[in-house]
Amino acid sequence: MSSRASIERVLFVLFAIFMMSVPWSVPALVSSFWVSVITEILIWSLFAASVNLLFGYVGLLSFGQALYFGFGMYGVSIGIDQLHLGFWPVFALGIVAAMTMALVSGVFAVRLTWHYFAIITVVFSLIFYFLAVRLKPLTGGDDGINFSMPPTFTFDHSVWSFTDPTFQYFFILLTVSLCFYLMHRVIHSPLGKAFVAIRDNDVRASLIGLNVYLIRLVAFVMAGFLAGVAGALFAFFGRYASAAYMFYQVSGEGVVWAIVGGAGTLFGPIIGTTLFIIIREVVSTHWEHHALIVGVMAILVVILAPRGLVGLWSDRLDRLDKDAAELPSTQPERVPP
Amino acid sequence: MDTLLLLALNGLIWGLIIALIALGLSVIFGLLDIINIAHGDFFMVGTVIAWFTLEATGNFWLGFIAAPLIGFILGALIQRVVIQPVRGVAALSIVATFGLSLILQESVRIIFGPTPRRILAPITSTVPLFGIEYDVYRLFAALLSIAALVGFFLFLQYTKIGTWMRAVRHDRDTAIAMGIPAQRIYILTFGIGFALAAFGGAVAAPIATVDFRGGVDILPFCFMAVIIGGLGNLPGTAAAAVMLAFFEGIIQSVADPTVARIASLALMSAVMLIRPQGLFKGHVR
Repeated sequence: MSSRASIERVLFVLFAIFMMSVPWSVPALVSSFWVSVITEILIWSLFAASVNLLFGYVGLLSFGQALYFGFGMYGVSIGIDQLHLGFWPVFALGIVAAMTMALVSGVFAVRLTWHYFAIITVVFSLIFYFLAVRLKPLTGGDDGINFSMPPTFTFDHSVWSFTDPTFQYFFILLTVSLCFYLMHRVIHSPLGKAFVAIRDNDVRASLIGLNVYLIRLVAFVMAGFLAGVAGALFAFFGRYASAAYMFYQVSGEGVVWAIVGGAGTLFGPIIGTTLFIIIREVVSTHWEHHALIVGVMAILVVILAPRGLVGLWSDRLDRLDKDAAELPSTQPERVPP
Repeated sequence: MDTLLLLALNGLIWGLIIALIALGLSVIFGLLDIINIAHGDFFMVGTVIAWFTLEATGNFWLGFIAAPLIGFILGALIQRVVIQPVRGVAALSIVATFGLSLILQESVRIIFGPTPRRILAPITSTVPLFGIEYDVYRLFAALLSIAALVGFFLFLQYTKIGTWMRAVRHDRDTAIAMGIPAQRIYILTFGIGFALAAFGGAVAAPIATVDFRGGVDILPFCFMAVIIGGLGNLPGTAAAAVMLAFFEGIIQSVADPTVARIASLALMSAVMLIRPQGLFKGHVR
């Protein structure tokens, strides 16, 4: 085993231990406010991961992932607010709504690539953003919908629900981890290899017999699933849904988080999202113009670390590894599509 | 009938202003291969410059000179500092221009303040036109936009620098081999792109509101014009902008603006799927 793999393994174990201990260690060290910040980071990381699955692994830059986030969010909120369903049915409703929308728009969108793909995805998301603003009785428009949480599990005497912050944290941690694990499995499956083959050269991929259109569509629906789960969790977390989360700037933030963290790596989106949300939370309490710092950071990272923060990190580890192993870098070179 | 005419005219004139902004976007897109997320904010900066010029000098007309001038300088600076290091990698350019967009919006919020303001048009009279009383300033704005569009095409076609810009877009390596300073052309192009958007902003300032978020709604519209017109097809871009805004104006006479926007977005998706090379067959990169 190379020193690099062992360093990463140790870091991963430390990270996992930290995440498991958040509800107790974070209030003790800082304040319980940061538990909810970390919960929010988990949810938005999943959103950035959906951008990353498409861009980092299949080479399609989607600027409309907020649409599927929004469908997950509205599936939950409308399910509770209008249809009076329980926790699990609305969770399913949100995810199914997001995936169905991804399938329907994907059928059209993945026929296009690169600039055209980026723009058709943003156009689709804008259509539904304006619809959500317009259909005020159903969606609440810009004001949004507030709802009260149904319980997650009800046993004879005990009720488990998101009103308990510790339960909420662990439910979200578990769901997000499960999604990342699924993504990890997909990326290392033959399907994941097909994704990368298409990203690197779609003509060659089709010549070795891959159905490029179908594989892109599958990736698009999977990304819709990730964004939909993130949206559903966000609605549960905030007990709130608003059309504002479907606007293209939200999609843009997801793209920035994924690329700054390191597109085409599993953990890149988590790192990018964590960085930007922590900056936002730390600075915004002292200075209202925190967006200025976010803007400068985004520019500095792409100029100084074009392969993202994870790219910077693995370059450093590669240097460490140089004499230890003949192993080629496990990070595939990120080829601009 | 009168409302239809009024809204159609408004749409047409708004389309001419959008054409200016979209042209700036298209030039940057075509030459530097950059998806410029900050382009709407270039427009917004133009409206703000017009507001400050009016405040400082009391003269509205100076804004038409100040906005493109300051826009050009800012654009040239931005190209050199932010865009040059990431040129050629489109994904990075999206992140960089997204950061730029945040910086521009936030800077304007600090300097100008968060509340939207209005500029009174320097000409407030109306003129009878096809049976309705129409705003003279809007007609004047249309004339100015047409003049700027024509001027820009003449510049691109008949001046040395315009020819160089076309040459670098067509074949960068050959252009460099022929001695064209491509690096300087990139800086110039970005400056011109910013200047066009800022000029559009100054022209639109009395029609629209001056607001640090004023560019956010403009951006998707400009991208639609660029795509429908055909990537790299500059006259197509201008025509598509006018058509789209005109179409929205007509829909607005029977439905509210949100529905009109949804209709134009749906039209746009249909065009992209049926004719991804754009409505007008032309120079396709």
